[in-house]
Amino acid sequence: MLYIEDLYIKVKDLEIKIDNLSISKGTYAILLGPSGVGKTMLLNAIAGFIRPLRGRIVIEGEDVTNLPPEKRGVSIVPQNFALFPHMTVFDNIAFCLKLRRLSRKEIERRVMEIARLLEIEHLLHRRPGTLSGGEAQRVALARAIVAEPRLLLLDEPLSNIDPERRLKAIELLRRVTRGRRLTVLHVTHDISEALALGDYVIYMRDGKILFQGTLREFATSRFALPYISLIERALSWLSSIRDVYSMRDSPL
Amino acid sequence: MSSRKLQVERSLVLFYGAFSFAIMFILIPIVSLFLFFNYHVLLKIFNTPILISELRSAFVTTFEAASLSTSILLIIGVPVAYVLARREFKAKPIVEAIIDMPFVVPHPVVGIMLLTAFGSRGLIPLNVEDTFWGVVLVMLFVSAPLLIDTVKLGFASIDVSIEHVARSLGASFYRTFFSILLPLCSRSIIAGIILALARSLSEVGALLVLAYFPKTVNILILEWLDTLGLPYAIAVSCLYLIVIFAMFIALRVVTRSYVVY
Repeated sequence: MLYIEDLYIKVKDLEIKIDNLSISKGTYAILLGPSGVGKTMLLNAIAGFIRPLRGRIVIEGEDVTNLPPEKRGVSIVPQNFALFPHMTVFDNIAFCLKLRRLSRKEIERRVMEIARLLEIEHLLHRRPGTLSGGEAQRVALARAIVAEPRLLLLDEPLSNIDPERRLKAIELLRRVTRGRRLTVLHVTHDISEALALGDYVIYMRDGKILFQGTLREFATSRFALPYISLIERALSWLSSIRDVYSMRDSPL
Repeated sequence: MSSRKLQVERSLVLFYGAFSFAIMFILIPIVSLFLFFNYHVLLKIFNTPILISELRSAFVTTFEAASLSTSILLIIGVPVAYVLARREFKAKPIVEAIIDMPFVVPHPVVGIMLLTAFGSRGLIPLNVEDTFWGVVLVMLFVSAPLLIDTVKLGFASIDVSIEHVARSLGASFYRTFFSILLPLCSRSIIAGIILALARSLSEVGALLVLAYFPKTVNILILEWLDTLGLPYAIAVSCLYLIVIFAMFIALRVVTRSYVVY
């Protein structure tokens, strides 16, 4: 689980103040909020790339506030996926396993296992520069998951994927993270990602967390108001699609 | 050719003109140097023991000092370049201006600065006047900004999230630096090495002040121009140009395999 207490971060003009944030183990949490409110900054602080001026970050009972990023057991998938361009997909995924000095055979076994799960076996010998957005996302996810993190941080992981493939990417994210009971903190400004994936929603604005609770609680809170019209439009679009399908399927 | 295409071609005349002028401007002095080259003078140098010994010694001093200064610079300059590319601190513009100082300071002034700093009566008396280490020091000083600035641009072009991901996957800072950042920056590092070597090999002004001895090729050219005359200076200049040109081609070929990205 992730627990944050009395956290204060300041980078240039951007400030984050968090009194309390708690995500229980195995939860898929969505960090929702408009652009530029400090969501990525919070993710970077949790991962250890920004040192907070005050407060505590606890992951699975261990205070990691002063630990370097490599000792936190946190994997991150940035918005641009940040695949190592000079390595093949196989070497990207195997990077953390090689650091742990696992045997060659064990590395191959684990890479193949995760590659099968994410349907990227055919990409293993390719270089990241030749991958599509969706493929790069799956490789980045494989690389993050193979490290068996205590916490998986996803920074707008669907924003670089074209709309036709987003549904499949969402389905894959859901299947992989639920299957492995991963604790996930997924940053987005898109309510549809929260609706599709989130168990728990954290709403952030102006460097502060204004709401945290289940998806159902969020949907009935005042913070969901700005998204209502979007949700309504999506629902009406869905019902019209359903009508078309039901007409097509009805025996005339 | 359609009239529209002709119009476009005509509008580029100024650019083609500038292009041709630039190429000719650089090429004409090189060609003329070789046109004035006298093969017999070079033979005479090779057949005169004092001259050939002086020439050999100058070549050895020059290339040894340039290689050593570039190697030292690589060890010091790459970390400096990383800090400048990645870290923000208040004094950064001042530090960057200090590093670029050798670009703007006239070469004899560089020599006087180094003399007052590291000469026998200098602030830090290292007694480098007229020593091999004096030559190395001058070359290190004048070539530092070229390597540091080139490598800094290389590091700055690597997305910081690549570094972050490597760290979060369990790599220490040094592991990330050596297995991710250095390979990704290899092209810039090699370019920096070539530029620093070139700058070291071309230095003369500061050497005249701080380390006339042991003579480098440039000092020898100046000396022979003064004492033996232009044909001798031209002969050595041509030889130096050919060796430098061959060295840079070889360096590019050899280092090509090190460019991983």
